[in-house]
Amino acid sequence: MVVLRDVSVTVPRGGALTVVGPSGSGKSSFLRCLNRLEEPSTGSVRFHGRDIQSLDPLTLRRRMALVAQTPVLFEGSVRGNLWTHPPGTGIDLSEGRLHAGLGEVGLAPDLLDRDGATLSGGEKQRVTLARALLADPEVLLLDEPASALDPPNAARLAETISSLRRARSLTVVVVTHQPELVRRLGGRLLYLVGGAVAAEAAIDGAEGEVGDRRLRAFLAGLADQPDEATGR
Amino acid sequence: MTGTAGVLDLSLWQVGLAVLLVGLVVAVSVRQHLGLERDLVVATGRAIVQLYLVGLVLTAVFRAAHWYWVLLVVLVMLAVATREAVGRLPRPLPHRYPIAAAALTGSTALVLAYAIAVVVPVRPWYEPQYVIPFAGMILGNAMNAAALAGDRLQADLRTRAGEIEARLALGFTGADALQPMVRAAIRAALIPTVNGMLTVGLVQLPGTMTGQILAGSPPLVAIEYQLVVVCFLGAATALASAAFVRLAARRYLTRAHQFRRYLLLD
Repeated sequence: MVVLRDVSVTVPRGGALTVVGPSGSGKSSFLRCLNRLEEPSTGSVRFHGRDIQSLDPLTLRRRMALVAQTPVLFEGSVRGNLWTHPPGTGIDLSEGRLHAGLGEVGLAPDLLDRDGATLSGGEKQRVTLARALLADPEVLLLDEPASALDPPNAARLAETISSLRRARSLTVVVVTHQPELVRRLGGRLLYLVGGAVAAEAAIDGAEGEVGDRRLRAFLAGLADQPDEATGR
Repeated sequence: MTGTAGVLDLSLWQVGLAVLLVGLVVAVSVRQHLGLERDLVVATGRAIVQLYLVGLVLTAVFRAAHWYWVLLVVLVMLAVATREAVGRLPRPLPHRYPIAAAALTGSTALVLAYAIAVVVPVRPWYEPQYVIPFAGMILGNAMNAAALAGDRLQADLRTRAGEIEARLALGFTGADALQPMVRAAIRAALIPTVNGMLTVGLVQLPGTMTGQILAGSPPLVAIEYQLVVVCFLGAATALASAAFVRLAARRYLTRAHQFRRYLLLD
């Protein structure tokens, strides 16, 4: 079964790419190919111009942090979760850094001693984001970061992500259904259907400048999916 | 009925009287509509045939007393144990038989060598009266340990796939990402043995001790043998489960530290 075909895209350093599309269109697989959690059967992924096959996958994943759709917190406290990083990586996990890390994603430091299992969906998503950011990645890969959140929390998370990107000069690749997040991040928008690019657009200007009418309707918030805007 | 070396010999008709008890079980099955009558009859028939065959083979091996016959018996037991240990694993495990064979052979060889060279030094080293029962008990426990560990490992890898991938995404090696599931599987395999050691002699008189007491050994000699056997079995369980789980867990990873979760999907 072919999951992705003929998908070719370049994201400049510090740029943003958002990927939208219906379920099963290959969005998550696309993201997982970028940090080598999955291996494409043909084609290549380049990072700073080098084929990622020639890079150590462990180092690559620390430089390209992936936050999964379903937030995974390991057993134990929030502090224990933030401490969960491979040994010998030299990541600063001091108390001050943990406080700053939580603050960066909009969480209070008194959360550190809470059991991860008692957190709300939104808090869990933010803790996994903070955990990924502690490794100081260059690229942030986000898979449906707001899928489990209600609209107000989803909007707050979109704001957090776009301010993080500005503050850290992060390159962000995000799979999302949120027009607001796409608008806030700007950069390029890729619309995948059946594993292929159905449309793409630059989002840095006004919505009116987006050529594809399906994407235009999606960005205007008229449809949850670009394909719903055309009744396909 | 004649007595030999403290044991009452059983005649065929006495064995037949014991087998009659299976009739009672069949009656219960019929009355309660359990549908087990056929299985019970087949199982009883197989038990009779298998045990008589083993009795004949062991008699011949004991009489011949050659090392190669003893080795052959142990190898046959090893082959059957390997098949049983992984034959019923619910999901695919690439190279399951070589992995089980390596874990069972390694653990059994180590414990058996320690048993017959150090703890109960027998002369000659292949003395079938000791080597075959020891090997059988050690292998049986190693087999159960590998089966339990394999079952638990697959269940955990399947239900905790998100956790594994979250660790991989943070830059952990595949081995480190699977470590919590490996530990849980070894622990699950060890629990019955540890429970058995805690209650040995209190809840039931274990097989070695029972056999020796029936054979006329003084109870204190019987418990010494039982203690020795309990230690052998504990070691075999730990070694077999640890070796099996470590070898098996690797099969679910690629060289690039990717988790082959598709092997565990329905």
